[in-house]
Amino acid sequence: LQEKFEILNLDVKSGDSLKIKGKIADDTNSFVVNVGKSASDLGLHFNPRFDESVIVCNSKCADAWQSEHRDHHLPFSRGSQVKIHFLGDKFRVRLPDGHEVEFPNRHGHDKISYLSVKGGFRVTSFKQD
Amino acid sequence: MSSGVVCTNMGIKPGQRFGVKGDIAPGAKSFVLNLGKDANNLALHFNPRFDAHGDVRTIVCNSKKGEEWGAEHRESQFPFQEGSSVEVFFTHNKDAVTVTLPGNHHFKVPNALALPSIDYMAAEGDFKIKSVNFE
Repeated sequence: LQEKFEILNLDVKSGDSLKIKGKIADDTNSFVVNVGKSASDLGLHFNPRFDESVIVCNSKCADAWQSEHRDHHLPFSRGSQVKIHFLGDKFRVRLPDGHEVEFPNRHGHDKISYLSVKGGFRVTSFKQD
Repeated sequence: MSSGVVCTNMGIKPGQRFGVKGDIAPGAKSFVLNLGKDANNLALHFNPRFDAHGDVRTIVCNSKKGEEWGAEHRESQFPFQEGSSVEVFFTHNKDAVTVTLPGNHHFKVPNALALPSIDYMAAEGDFKIKSVNFE
């Protein structure tokens, strides 16, 4: 995995969205988008795995992973552009074909202040509003 | 000055355009965008001052190498308004960092560090980043 792209001090509150745009590397097997309060406290770990054709979601509380959620709808094609939206009390990730993956805000985070991206997804823009 | 968004590992190459869009707070005194390798190695410290440190409506730029500041550059053009949204663009090459302001005003600051890429960005002060684009 390449060095991770990180953003600190975001201010995405309940009801707001965070969009990330980027390019998926042609030769990648997976990438990860994490959002939460810090690297140790993640409201959502979003991990598409191309080799297994699955999107794995999870959360992390005080450095401890919680239970995994798996969605076998994987519309990301390698080398294409994707947009990801995050909304307030639950996390809703909108995939390029319009399909949405939802994941509960298990740890009751009141805002997203941390984002990291690693693996075969090169971020080219982000927007909070 | 209050600290805002910090990005690391951006990997912006020479010639690649980097845009930052955000809201200037009503009654803003000053804000900063720092670009470089890390917090102590800055190719560009970009500091529009509405009314701060004895400067009124002036852009102060500098660079920082291992915690040591370089020579200040001052720009008198100041196309910023308190309480408005604004977008600023940056490009860098080995000689200079070019800043493009609203209204297509632009100026160059020597690239004292000649970094191979811009990996770090941090915002401070009376400015809230809404979006960042480095396609």
